[in-house]
Amino acid sequence: MWARRGGRAPIICRPKRHFVINDVRWCALALLLVLGLSSGAFLLPQTWLHYLALINLLLLVQGRYLGGRLKGLLVIFTSQLAITSLLYLLLHGVERLPEGITAVCRILMAMIPGWWLSIACSPQRIGEVLSHCLPHKWTFVLAACFGILPYLGQETREIYQMQVMRGANIRLKSLWRPRHWHELIYCVLYPLLIQLLKLSKQMATAARLRQFGRHPKPTHWPF
Amino acid sequence: MALVRLSQIHFNFQTAAQPLFEDLNLTIAPGECHLIHGYTGCGKSTLLKLLLGILERPWEGEREIAEGATLGVVMQDPNVQLLRQTLGAEVAFALENLGVASNEMLLQVRSALRRVGLYISLDTPIASLSLGQRYRLMIAAQLVLEPDLLLLDEPWAQLDDQGVAELSAVLNQLKQQGVALLIVEHHRGVFKDLVTHRWQLSQGKLHGVAPAQAEASPSQECWRESPAWPQGEAVIDSHGFTLAFHERQKLFDAESLLLFPGEIAALVGDNGCGKSTLLKSLAGIQADIDPLGIKVFGKKPKLGRFGADLALLHQRPSRQLFENTVIEEIQFSLRRFGLPLEWAIELLGQLGLTTLARHSPHTLSYGQQHLIALASLACFRPKLLLLDDPFAGLDEHFTSKIVALLLELSRQGTAIVVASHRPIAELPIDRLWRVADARLECFGMATACEKQAYSRVG
Repeated sequence: MWARRGGRAPIICRPKRHFVINDVRWCALALLLVLGLSSGAFLLPQTWLHYLALINLLLLVQGRYLGGRLKGLLVIFTSQLAITSLLYLLLHGVERLPEGITAVCRILMAMIPGWWLSIACSPQRIGEVLSHCLPHKWTFVLAACFGILPYLGQETREIYQMQVMRGANIRLKSLWRPRHWHELIYCVLYPLLIQLLKLSKQMATAARLRQFGRHPKPTHWPF
Repeated sequence: MALVRLSQIHFNFQTAAQPLFEDLNLTIAPGECHLIHGYTGCGKSTLLKLLLGILERPWEGEREIAEGATLGVVMQDPNVQLLRQTLGAEVAFALENLGVASNEMLLQVRSALRRVGLYISLDTPIASLSLGQRYRLMIAAQLVLEPDLLLLDEPWAQLDDQGVAELSAVLNQLKQQGVALLIVEHHRGVFKDLVTHRWQLSQGKLHGVAPAQAEASPSQECWRESPAWPQGEAVIDSHGFTLAFHERQKLFDAESLLLFPGEIAALVGDNGCGKSTLLKSLAGIQADIDPLGIKVFGKKPKLGRFGADLALLHQRPSRQLFENTVIEEIQFSLRRFGLPLEWAIELLGQLGLTTLARHSPHTLSYGQQHLIALASLACFRPKLLLLDDPFAGLDEHFTSKIVALLLELSRQGTAIVVASHRPIAELPIDRLWRVADARLECFGMATACEKQAYSRVG
C-alpha cells in the first residue's frame, strides 16, 4: 500500500483520522452496536444507565485516541444542559432538576456512539454496509452526509464569525435575549442553508460526471 | 479528426440583456491544448458545462462528440469534487460506478496516481493533502475513466507557483499521450509551454489570440511610490512569534510584525503556508493555535473585541450575504455599529454599483457578489482591514475596482493586510510579509536593502 513519496509534502499536518474498522462485516457489527447503544440511551431504565455510561466512556476514550475531537460534543452537552436545566427550574422547580439532567445525559449517550462510528469507520464502508439494505443512491447520500459533517461544522463557525465581526447581535451574551434569536437564524442559518444547497448540487454534479448511477450494481473499493 | 465540435452556439440567461454565447464555434482535436480566457462572468464556466452536457438551461446550436470519446473535468474548486475521505477511495469512485470488480481496481488506481505523480499511500486522508496535490488527485480520479478531453476550470488562479509547475508537468505528459486539454483562465499568459490554441471569450464569441499577444503573468510586487510613512500607534505589533497548531507541526516563525495606520501590507506565500491562519489569529478567531503575543490596537485579539475597528474578508466572501437587497446588505453593519447609513450609498456610487442597490445580492455574478461582500466591510471604515485572497477568480475590471477601494481606505487611515499566494502587481504596497521555508520575513520600501534581499529571494 506504500510507494515512493513524491511531490510536495503538505506544510500543515492535520491529525490523522484512522478508520480502523475497514472490514465490511466488522463495520456492520459496529453499526448494529451503535444502533443498540443509541436506542438503549432512550429505552433503558435508569438503573442500567451507569453501565451504558461506562461503555460510552470507553468509546469516548477510543475516539479521542483515534483523533476525534470532543469539543463539539462538549458544546452541545453544555448548551443543552443549560437550556434544559433553566426550563426545568422555571416549569417544575428545583426538586425535578435531576430529571432534566438525566434527560440531557441520555441525549448525550445517544450521540456518542454515532460520533465514535464516524471516527472508527470510513463513510464509504458504512455506505457499503447500508447498500445491502438500501438503494445505492440513498447509501451514497448517507455516506456523503457523514463525510461533509466536519465541513459543515467549519462552515457554520466561519459564517458565525463573519457575522459577529459585521456587528450581528449573535454572541453568547446577546443570545440570552430571545429577541436576538431571529438574527442568528437570519445571519447564520440562512447563508448556511444556501451554502449547503450549493454544495449538494456541486457534489451531485461531480458524482454524475464520474458515472454515478450508470451501473445497476456498483462495486466497492476494497481498502 | 475532431474530438469535440461546437457549432453556432447561442445561449443566454433569462435575466441577461445580452446573449452569453452568440454564434460560438470551437473544434478540439486529440493532443491539442486550448486556453480560453475572458473577463469574470463572460461565460467560461458555462462553456465547460455546455461541453460536458450538464448545462441545465436550453441552448441552440450543435454539440458533436466523437463516438466513444470521454470527457473529464476538474472544477474551479477541487474540494467540492472530492467525495471520499482517502486517496485510493477517491480515485476508485468512478470505477465503482462502472461496476469494475474490486480486485481489478487496485492496478487502475495505482496507474492513475502514478500518471499524475502522486506516490502516496492509498489510505492517506485527503484532508492532509495540499491544494496542488488535491488538484492532481482530481485529475487521477478522471484518468481512471481514460478521458480523451480533460477540462480544467481556472487552475492557475487556485494554485501557487509550485502547484502550477507540478500541474504543468502532468498536463504536458497527458498531452503527449494524446489527451486533449481545455483550460479556462483569466490570465492569458499562463501555461505558455503547454498551450497550442489561445482564445479570448468576449461578446459571445471565441476570438483567436496570437502567442505574441499573450502577456506575461503578473508575479512581481508593486511598491507604493509615495509610501504612507508610519504615523501614530502601531495597529499590529509583535516582537516575534511562532505560529503553530496545538500539538502539531509549526507553520512558521516570525521575527517581528509591525503595521501602522494607512499602510498596506501584502502577505504572500504558497498554499497552506499559514496565511489564512495568521489573518484569523490577528482577528482573534483562530482557536487551535499556541499563544502568539501579537497585539492589535495594543490588545490581545479576540472575536468581537474591536467592533467596527477591525474587519476580515474571508475566502469565498459571498458566504456572508443574507439580506434581500444590496443596499440592505451594506447597511447592515452601519446599523449595528450606529454609523450613518448614507455611507453605504456613497460607497456604492464610488464602486459604480448604484444601479444594483435594489437587486438581491444572491442574483449577482461572482465578481459582483465578491465586491458587495467587500463593500459591506469597507463601508464602516475599519481601522484595520484583513483580506484573505480578495482577488481570487476576479478579472482586471473587478481587480482595479477593489484596488481603488483599498487605496481610498488607506488614504483615510485604514491599515490593510492582503493575503495571496502570489504578489498582486496592481496593488501598491508599503510592506511585504513573505512566508517561505516556515519563516515569515518582513520587507519595507523604506529600507532598500530589504527589497534587494527580497528580489534575490524571489
